[in-house]
Amino acid sequence: MNNYLSEFESLFREVLENEDIVLTNNTTAHDIDEWDSINHIYLVVEIEKHFGIKFSSSEILGWQNVGEMIDSVKAKKEL
Amino acid sequence: MLFNSLDFFIFLPIVFVLYWFVLNKNLKVQNFLLLIASYVFYGWWDVRFLSLIILSTIIDYFIGIKIHESNDETKRKRWLRLSMLVNLSLLGFFKYFNFFIDSFISAFNSIGIEMDTFTLNIILPVGISFYTFQTMSYSLDINKRKLVPTKDFVAFATFVAFFPQLVAGPIERASNLLPQFLRKRKFNNKFASDGVRQILWGLFKKIVVADNCAPFVNSIFSNYTEEPSSMLILGVVIFAFQIYADFSGYTDIAIGVAKLFGFDFKKNFNFPYFSKGISEFWKRWHISLSSWLNDYLFTPLAVEFRNYKKRGIFLAVFLTFLISGLWHGAGWNFVFWGGLHGLYYIPVIFSKKRFTSISTNKGSKVKLDFSITDIPKMVLTFFMVCLTYIFFRSASLSDAFGYLKGIFTQIPTFPNTIPYELFLFIIILMATEWFQRNKEHGLQFDDTSKVRPFFRWVIYFLLIFAIFIFQEEQQEFIYFQF
Repeated sequence: MNNYLSEFESLFREVLENEDIVLTNNTTAHDIDEWDSINHIYLVVEIEKHFGIKFSSSEILGWQNVGEMIDSVKAKKEL
Repeated sequence: MLFNSLDFFIFLPIVFVLYWFVLNKNLKVQNFLLLIASYVFYGWWDVRFLSLIILSTIIDYFIGIKIHESNDETKRKRWLRLSMLVNLSLLGFFKYFNFFIDSFISAFNSIGIEMDTFTLNIILPVGISFYTFQTMSYSLDINKRKLVPTKDFVAFATFVAFFPQLVAGPIERASNLLPQFLRKRKFNNKFASDGVRQILWGLFKKIVVADNCAPFVNSIFSNYTEEPSSMLILGVVIFAFQIYADFSGYTDIAIGVAKLFGFDFKKNFNFPYFSKGISEFWKRWHISLSSWLNDYLFTPLAVEFRNYKKRGIFLAVFLTFLISGLWHGAGWNFVFWGGLHGLYYIPVIFSKKRFTSISTNKGSKVKLDFSITDIPKMVLTFFMVCLTYIFFRSASLSDAFGYLKGIFTQIPTFPNTIPYELFLFIIILMATEWFQRNKEHGLQFDDTSKVRPFFRWVIYFLLIFAIFIFQEEQQEFIYFQF
C-alpha cells in the first residue's frame, strides 16, 4: 500500500505542479487546491499510463479519496 | 410569493415565530411547518404546479431508497434512469416542448417541406429547472454511493421544497442540506443577525440597483435599431450589473432567510466581476449550478473523452456550456450564449500545459489576491462576459446579431441620456463588494471587520432609506423565468 501511495504522490506532484503535496489515503480534492475537475482527468490519464491499466468510467466516478483510487489500482495489478 | 413583496414580509415573521417559539419542541413538527410554509409560498404563485413538485419529491424519495437497497448494478441503473426520465420529462415538457416543435418545424420548412405551426400554450412552472436538478442530484449521489437516502419523508420533501431556495436556487446538494433537516437547529443570535444583514444587502441590490437598471436596459434592447452605438454598449454594460444585482440579490435574500431558520446554504456568488479570467468567472458565478454541471455532466463526459487529451476536454467543456445555455432558456440565443462561453475556454485549454476546472464546489476557498496588474485582466474578462450578455438578454438570436451589428454600424454619437443615478448605484454596489470581497456577502461584519459599529448603523439606515426612496415598479427576479 505504502508503495502505491508514494508512487501516487510523485504522480500528483508532477501533474499538479506542486512539490509540497503530501498524500494520505484520506486525502480528497478538497484538500489540494490544484486538484480540480480538469486536472482530475489528467491525473486519471497519468495513473492509467503509469500502471499500464484502464479504469471503467463508473470506477472513476465512484472514487471518494486517494485510498479508493489506490484500491482500484491494486485490484487491477494484483489480480 | 416574491421576496420583494409585502406578502412575503408578512409571511416571514409568522413562520419565524411559529418555528422558534411555538413548535420548537419537536423537530418533526418544525420540519412539517417548514414544508407547509414552503407549499404556501409556492402555491401563492400557482397551486396547480405544486403537484409537479410533489410528484418529483415522491419519485426521488422512493427511487433513492430503491437504489440504496439494491446491490445489483443493473437494477440500480434502472432505478436511476427512471428518476432521470421523470425529472427530465417534466422539464422537457414544460420548458422545451414548444422550443423543440418550433425548431423542428422551421428545420423542415427550410428544406422545403411546409408544415403548420403546432405549439401548445404551456406556462412554465416557476422553479422547475431548480428543483428537478436538486432531486436528480439526490438520486445520482445515492447511485454513486456518496449519499445514504433518508427514510424521513417530511425531511426529504422539505429539502426539495424549502422556500428560501425553491424558485431560483441555490441548488443545494442533499449532502449539505438534508442532514440539517435531520438535526435540531438552535437559534444563534450572531448567525441570524448576519442573515438579516444579508437580506438587507440583497434587497438593496434587487430594489435599488437591479430594478432601477431594468427600465433603461429594457428600452435599449427593445429599440436597438434606433439607438446610437454608444447607447448599445452602455445598455449591455448596465445589463451586466442589473443581472448580477438581481440574481445575487435574490441569492443573498435566500441565504439570509435560511440563516434566520438556522440553515446554512452554500455560497452561490463570490464577487464574479472581479474575476481575472473566464474559468475564474465560472468559479464565482452561480456556483451551485456550475458545480452541479461540473459534477454530473462535465466530469462524466471528460472521463469518457479522456483519451482524446485536450480536444476531449474541450469537447466536454463545450457540450457542458451548450446544455447550460439550454438550461437557462429554451431559445437558440441561450444556446449561443453557452457556446460562446465554451469557446472562451479554447485559449485556457490549449495554451497552458495544465489548467483549471470549469467550476468547483470549493466556494470561498477561491480568495481574491490582487495586484494592480490584474486590472486589465479583470476589465477584459468583464467585457468578454458582456459580449455574451447580448445573446442572453436579446429576445431572439436574430435580435442579438442585430444588436451586435448595431454596435459596429450605428452612429457613435454621445449617449442621448446618461443615467447618472444608475452609475451611482452601481459604484456603491461594486465599491462595497470590493471592500468586502473576502467576506461572505457585502454586509458581513464579523469580529475581524474594520467597520466600527456606529458606521454600521449609519450604513443600515442609509440602505433602508435608499430602498424606500428609490423603489421603482416591482419587477420579478430575472432567474424566475429559468
